[in-house]
Amino acid sequence: MSPAAITALVVLGFAVMLVRRRSLATLLVSAQAMVLGIAALSLARGRPADFLVAAIILLVRAVALPALLTFTRRRTPEPYLVIPATTVLVRLVLAATVVLIAAASIPPLGLGDRPAEHAAVALLSLGIAIVIMRRPALLQVLGILVAENGIYLLAISVPGGLPFVIELGVLFDLVLVVTVAAAFTHKIHGEVGSGDTDLLRALRD
Amino acid sequence: MTDAVGPLIVATLAVPLSAALLVTLLPTPVAADRLNLATSTLTAALALALAVVAIAAAPDVASRGSWYVLDVASGVFLAVVAVVGFASAAMSPFYLRHAGRSWFTARRSHAWYYAAFNIFWAALLALPLAENLAIAWLLIEATTAASALLVAFSGKRSALEAGWKYVVLTTLGLATALLGIVVVYAAVGSDGSGLGRLDWQALAQHANELPHEATLFAFVLILVGLASKIGWAPVHNWLPDAHSEAPPPVSALLSAALLPTVLLIAWRTKLALEPALGSGTVQELFIGFGLVSLLVAIPFLWRPLPWKRLLAYSSLEHMGVLALGIGFGTPLAIAGVVIHVAGHALAKALGFYTAIPLLREDPRTADAPARGIARTSPPTATAMSVSLVSLAGLPPSPLFVSEVMILLGGMEAGLLAVSSIAAVLLALGFLGLAHALLEGLFGGEKGPHRRPSRSVQAIALLAGIAAVALLGLTAIAYALPGSDIVEALMRSGA
Repeated sequence: MSPAAITALVVLGFAVMLVRRRSLATLLVSAQAMVLGIAALSLARGRPADFLVAAIILLVRAVALPALLTFTRRRTPEPYLVIPATTVLVRLVLAATVVLIAAASIPPLGLGDRPAEHAAVALLSLGIAIVIMRRPALLQVLGILVAENGIYLLAISVPGGLPFVIELGVLFDLVLVVTVAAAFTHKIHGEVGSGDTDLLRALRD
Repeated sequence: MTDAVGPLIVATLAVPLSAALLVTLLPTPVAADRLNLATSTLTAALALALAVVAIAAAPDVASRGSWYVLDVASGVFLAVVAVVGFASAAMSPFYLRHAGRSWFTARRSHAWYYAAFNIFWAALLALPLAENLAIAWLLIEATTAASALLVAFSGKRSALEAGWKYVVLTTLGLATALLGIVVVYAAVGSDGSGLGRLDWQALAQHANELPHEATLFAFVLILVGLASKIGWAPVHNWLPDAHSEAPPPVSALLSAALLPTVLLIAWRTKLALEPALGSGTVQELFIGFGLVSLLVAIPFLWRPLPWKRLLAYSSLEHMGVLALGIGFGTPLAIAGVVIHVAGHALAKALGFYTAIPLLREDPRTADAPARGIARTSPPTATAMSVSLVSLAGLPPSPLFVSEVMILLGGMEAGLLAVSSIAAVLLALGFLGLAHALLEGLFGGEKGPHRRPSRSVQAIALLAGIAAVALLGLTAIAYALPGSDIVEALMRSGA
């Protein structure tokens, strides 16, 4: 994959960590999936079956899932701005630290594309960091999608790609989980009047 | 008989999936209850037939298809999932009848509960049969969606919190595991064809050729990812919340079937990749998770916790014991693991079912420790006793025998210090649970004696059946070491 595409994927991941608006974060994740999808399509050129699977994955990841999350966002308007737990600068420094440590500590994974290996692990780490550091439920779902985009990056970097069963199976599971997470987001909003997961702190020992 | 295995497996999975669909078409809750009981009886019978075929073929693999394997490990775990699933299905109407508010409308709540329940159960039944690491991952991820809805079924704020935590943490954990699986797939290279590269057998055959560093990195990712679903500390945060907030029959299925079944996949991955990594590192990882889980769980067993939350921390403790047993990896320890999985399933499921009459008769026990149950409801107290005495590992509980076998297995493996630390922690856990049981039975102020409800009568019957089954398991435990079953389990999947 081209260095520009890999850089774009990581920058978009960082942007999701930093932006305030859920609508903008959704667009950023959609753009990330679009970059990945186009890269997958170009890698599958000349192989019709692979091309079809890559096209389906692009449509679901870059269009259908962001559309579902946009629908969820519109049904769960925030009555007030959810104040981030940390400032933008702190989030940026923490995320950069996590990503650098994770990317630096991985051994060669044997894919023959070292930048893609680094970027995949960086996106997984970023996704986890987004879930930990962002309070709105919808942003946490987007964190999961950033992590999953990292795995998809690694998957398309495997010479010959992954078998269709795995690619489509993972996609199916992702759709299921995001749909359930969207239902939870709606339900949580109905119960506490906000998608702020910090308000869900009843279960402590 | 082996010719019939493929169709039998398809039928075992098709019945609950069909039930999930059919139950949503039924007009009344009572009709949904009846259909679910009928289909769950059939599902359990089919799964138990498969389990018998698998175990009877020991030490050989009963059958292996393009996407399934029916070996002794499949048989043992299928039997556990079948029994717990059936018991949970049978106990669900007692819960649903008095469940009150739920995520769904009152008219549709039974139907949606059973739909999610059957999808969850079908995925759990398929998991021990999965012949392939990637397929196993897909099935584990599939359990998340259905079971998360069940965890939050009550629709209460605390249940939503538990369900949300469960979805987010386990999905991220499984994403981590998936990254490891992709690395393993790439490492196997062009040896093997497509999906078949990740078959347990293919992985074991090619393990010696895998690059050490990349495979170790992948194995750590897979194990950490699966640990988040097994509930091993320190990635267990969802477990106490989900177990305590889910409907009791679902808590039973989570604790007694989901956790050990995912543990089977971790075990199979260990056996498949061990030749590439060397036994030392792999053993250290399992033992590390085991000891940390025990260390985290034991202090909570000493605290006055609500009944279901106490059982949840006991699950953390027992998953730690199983991690130790698999880590030790000697035949004696593995024999202990099998008995522990079965004994824990019976005792823990009974414990969660006991919560149905307990919560109904005294709703305060949802948020506070149970007290004086021997005075207010002797049948409920009997069920609590059978469950907690077994879980604490008091003889003649099979968990006493299995824990001794696992600890002796550790010594056999030359890990005297680890076994000693684990023995001390288990003794502390025993004292904590014994204290909790005595307080639960006889503590607190004198309450009114209550007339047994139908759920109390059902739990009394279940307690009797569970006690007999647990004693039977203790007898089996003495005969297990050195048997063909253990020989087969030592090379599960390979």
